[in-house]
Amino acid sequence: MSIRFSLVSEVIDTSSLAAELTDPAAGAVVTFDGRVRNHNAGQAVDRLEYQAYPALAISTGQRILEEEAGRHGVLRVQAAHRTGLLAIGEVAVWVGVAAAHRGPAFDAARAIIERLKYELPVWKKEIYSDSSTAWIGPDNKSTETGQAESGIPQWDAELLEIWISAGNDFRGRHELGRQEHGIHSVSEIECVAGMGLRGDRYFGFKPDFKGQVTFFDADAVQAVRDQFSQPDLSAAVFRRNLIVRGVDLAAWTGKRFCFQGVDFEASEECKPCYWMDQVVGPGAEEFMKQNFRGGLRARILSNGILRVS
Amino acid sequence: MTLTVCYYGLLAERRGVAEERITSISCTAAALYQELDASYQLGLAMTDLRVAVNDEFVPWHHPLAANDTVSLLPPMSGG
Repeated sequence: MSIRFSLVSEVIDTSSLAAELTDPAAGAVVTFDGRVRNHNAGQAVDRLEYQAYPALAISTGQRILEEEAGRHGVLRVQAAHRTGLLAIGEVAVWVGVAAAHRGPAFDAARAIIERLKYELPVWKKEIYSDSSTAWIGPDNKSTETGQAESGIPQWDAELLEIWISAGNDFRGRHELGRQEHGIHSVSEIECVAGMGLRGDRYFGFKPDFKGQVTFFDADAVQAVRDQFSQPDLSAAVFRRNLIVRGVDLAAWTGKRFCFQGVDFEASEECKPCYWMDQVVGPGAEEFMKQNFRGGLRARILSNGILRVS
Repeated sequence: MTLTVCYYGLLAERRGVAEERITSISCTAAALYQELDASYQLGLAMTDLRVAVNDEFVPWHHPLAANDTVSLLPPMSGG
């Protein structure tokens, strides 16, 4: 079978799984193994125990692989998760993806491992050197004391401004001069899964587009204002969509999150381009390349409305 | 009605068993969890848990029928 999830009680046979990824049409194969680490949150970990709900874990794992294979258009996917007692260094989870090209292979592998962490009905118990134990929630926090929100993590952030533009001003305009489609702010916007923000230039731009929406930190807006002595500079000049406050955008690359009830999957840093020097001033591009000031690109995973806080 | 309840992870440890047959008048998964939490001080908020009935995820308002298997799932931690 070209797409298969398995739950394994013995050592995961990664070479057999990798052999299932052989495909003459595949120009890229990405594999990931998640291993047992000897420490977590400052404590020395001796080993791990994984408990699973087998019937539901297998059906959920299979569904995740099939959904991500379809979404990213890849050829073959194999993944396995361990159960039982595992020693330091053992492979706890393995994901392998074969695709025609490297982009979808990396993206699908990343999306799958992120989803397995939050959605697979498997529970991890850490056993420490002093033989005490703790059940661990997603993100390796204790189930008892950590934020244990089920499903994907929630963003506790403010949405300060929403900007949309009907057309591209900069993209594809090298040496042609900018376009003047304008950009305008709205107080609410409709998010459409897999498509983008309704009314924005990137809505339905292309399948599985990484930049269906862009997040930009209000602190980055302020940093640029301060650095270039333009206290009244509008966030509109950056041509990013959502100006937010209270979240470390850099920490979310490749991860899923829920914001105002809408699910997103962050893809990558939204790298600033030389147009920033023209609209802000010389050095703006370099300044925004630092500290993730360019913001975060993301895909939209569920439908909903975002509103300015 | 008679139900089978399965506990996983921290909930199994709190309850002291992984599975039990019970008799309940709770007609939804939510009511059942409240009943069990009151009896055994399971201590996790319903918003932090997921529930499955007969090996499928269901919302908390899912109605229960006799002989259903109800599985209470603490925050998952694969990988």
